[in-house]
Amino acid sequence: MRQYILQRLLIAIPTVFGVTVLIFLAMRVIPGDPLQTIYTESTGAYILSEEELAEVRASLGLDKPLWQQYLSWMGQVFRGEMGYSFWTKDPISQMILRRGPISAQIAIFAVVLSWLFGVPIGLLSAWFRNSWADQVSRAGITIFLAVPSFWLGLLIILFTVLVLTWRPPLTIIQFWEDPGANFAIVALPSVTLGLGLGAATARMARSAALEALFDDYVRTARAKGLGNSLIIWRHVFKNAMLPVITSTGLALGGLLGGTVSVEKAFAVPGLGSLMVQGMQERDWMMIQNLVLVYGLIYVFVNLLVDLSYGMLDPRIRYS
Amino acid sequence: MLRLNRRRFLQLAGAGAGLAVLAACAPAAPDAPAVVDEPTPVPMSEADVAASADDPGLMRPSGTPKRGGHLKTAFGVTMASFDAHQGGGTHVLSHMYNNLVRNNLVDGLRTVVPDLARSVDVSDDGKTYTFNLRSGVKYHNGADFTSADVLATFNRIMDPPQGMISPLKAEFSFVEDLTAPDAGTAVFHLSAPRSYFLNVLSATNAYIYSEASLQENDFDLRDVIVPGTGAFKFVEHQPAERWLLERNPDYWDAELPYIDQLELLHVPAWSDRGTAVLTGQADMSWNVAFETWQEGSARDDIENKLLPNFGAYWLFMNNASGPLADSRVRKAIHLGVSKQNLKAAFGTQEVINITRWVPQGDPYATSPADLASMPGYREDKTEDIAEAKRLLAEAGYGENFPELEILAASGPQAELLAPAVQDMLNRDLGIPTKIRIIERASLGTEQQQGTYQLMVHTRGHGVSDISPRGNLWWRTGGSQNFGGYSEPRFDALLDQIDDETDVATRQGQINDAQDVLDDNPPEYLIGYTYHLPMWNSKVKGIELHDRIFAEWGRMETVWIDS
Repeated sequence: MRQYILQRLLIAIPTVFGVTVLIFLAMRVIPGDPLQTIYTESTGAYILSEEELAEVRASLGLDKPLWQQYLSWMGQVFRGEMGYSFWTKDPISQMILRRGPISAQIAIFAVVLSWLFGVPIGLLSAWFRNSWADQVSRAGITIFLAVPSFWLGLLIILFTVLVLTWRPPLTIIQFWEDPGANFAIVALPSVTLGLGLGAATARMARSAALEALFDDYVRTARAKGLGNSLIIWRHVFKNAMLPVITSTGLALGGLLGGTVSVEKAFAVPGLGSLMVQGMQERDWMMIQNLVLVYGLIYVFVNLLVDLSYGMLDPRIRYS
Repeated sequence: MLRLNRRRFLQLAGAGAGLAVLAACAPAAPDAPAVVDEPTPVPMSEADVAASADDPGLMRPSGTPKRGGHLKTAFGVTMASFDAHQGGGTHVLSHMYNNLVRNNLVDGLRTVVPDLARSVDVSDDGKTYTFNLRSGVKYHNGADFTSADVLATFNRIMDPPQGMISPLKAEFSFVEDLTAPDAGTAVFHLSAPRSYFLNVLSATNAYIYSEASLQENDFDLRDVIVPGTGAFKFVEHQPAERWLLERNPDYWDAELPYIDQLELLHVPAWSDRGTAVLTGQADMSWNVAFETWQEGSARDDIENKLLPNFGAYWLFMNNASGPLADSRVRKAIHLGVSKQNLKAAFGTQEVINITRWVPQGDPYATSPADLASMPGYREDKTEDIAEAKRLLAEAGYGENFPELEILAASGPQAELLAPAVQDMLNRDLGIPTKIRIIERASLGTEQQQGTYQLMVHTRGHGVSDISPRGNLWWRTGGSQNFGGYSEPRFDALLDQIDDETDVATRQGQINDAQDVLDDNPPEYLIGYTYHLPMWNSKVKGIELHDRIFAEWGRMETVWIDS
């Protein structure tokens, strides 16, 4: 097991390296000078001359060759600094650490919700296949799969603002500072994401359970006279969970990095909002570091998913 | 020397070009300058009265202000610099500092009132401004405010050290010398009278830094929040999240501020700002999305207002070459493209304020009533389009106008404004165009390099007066005259406008200058914009409902009617 983890981590190195190189180059290839934007925005009518731009560029080390800029960034990453925002000059690592927990909470709550709703609905839908309950649940699944999460988020915001005259707090309030206020921030985005993810989970669970229901071991279990609940729990559920875990793991990787559209809809100060802000302000350093964090999260979550297979399926061995 | 007491100071402020910025909503000619009433007394403790009796502040809100409370505002509060003179976000920072003079919060920004200056003497020739400074003013770190700070502040702006970018430098190009005869006096010597000089000094970014802070930081304050003299003191800044400021108990105007804390929430999206106010997450916002602003109109506990802003959308024209080098072609576009249609096309994004070259909110702006019948501005385009076609034919472009390119930034400008312009140019004037969409960050570069024909873009200026704008944008060789516009008639009028101090004479000159710009347009003005502030009715003291233009920033007279 330890050797397998080590191998996976070694394989991840070129993946993460590739991600960093790609995003570093992409930021420099796209047209437009971020400094021109930043300084024109902040100085109003004043537009920097070429000489002034060159001076600012030099002060940020952007006049150096690309390979030197890349190595400088990597040096900052290995020192845990991640550099400073072009726009606000604030340490990026601190901004990520402050906003990360909010995005992580939303992601975890959304996944928990998706399992709470999705797995039972998927299993029951498979067990009572083609019944009216199955038809209703399939219709519900289709609707929530089709509805974009940001649109659902906007509807929820409209309802809470216009009917309840309430909206979540706009600043970051961590769980350990004020659990109630923190819950108010993460609850609605979690529900919004959880509904869509739950629909995907239910569909996956239904199809996996249907497959398992017709497998030999289930037929054997029935022949042995086992009760339905025991068959579902011991034989169907466990086997149907492998694809669900895979899809959930991939989704969790994306959610942990912050869900841009939903965070934007609810004005949640998470990593997704930070990414949007970085893009709007052409903040190269911010975008580079966030993409790096996303890459690392994906690699880590994928590793966890792979390891979880071994626990669920004893046939899988790590070598 | 003309010695100004407070009343005279206010009158001068009212009469000076742009000082008393007459109402955009009541756009009468500025022959009757607005003068602020006597400050309304408010209850003060005996100790407060004693402390301020010899040097009272001028701004006293109406009603019965209550002390205490925590005010939350919602707007974007990130910034690239903490240095107001190097592009810092003064809508946040200005709460902690003072100017020499400032726009009056309690009369809707109609007058300029003394701030750190107690009074000002203006020489008879209008070229020497002597500021008599308040005594006993202290910075938040306890240091005394003196004339040395005024010198250090403005000398850095006018003669920036190596490495400093000074956007304000051009605003003070007419200041020949700045001296401090004693610790309580600062004297500006101008090369020629400038009637809008106090306007420049009252801008929210023209505040005073201490000489010691400048020296300690090698004259570069971009990364440091240095102590000011302002009504609020810095407490905390969470990047891209919020600023927290607290009442300065030692503020030189012992009556102010009324509130204990000011929390500036970072809410970049206009719709979120609006919903924040509607739901009580914030008490006010300087600018919200139109749909939330409309929702506020239907609520009893929410107030709002449309305020003229000094930023505009333009269709820039490269005068240097091609068909647009011909003034007749530019005038044809000025006449033939309907501003009303563009306003409608952009209505989902921002509220366009159709004005002439001088924006509404400035005392010399052309009134909407006059504008309604003027060629190029009126709604009925029948005559204008006919005249435009005649001009195009005269210029030799009757039937076969070469295709032009419209550059626009991705987003609403490229999706709404550029196609609307394209359609009218093609349909009404027979000018074929293609739209090239580029990143907003690239527009400035293309503009500076002159690699464009037509460009939809924004441009604004903190001072509404035509002098600083005209010298930057439209004077031959102006530092931001990127289109290469040159019109000797305008340059000559601008020379006169720059120096003129008589309001009526200046009004005539500015009207003439605008006529020249209409006759030989440097570019096409789509329109200035409105800001849409919205606030809870309990927010009092800054007379937002009575303002005549948008100014984001200081609000020490605000109080909460809780």
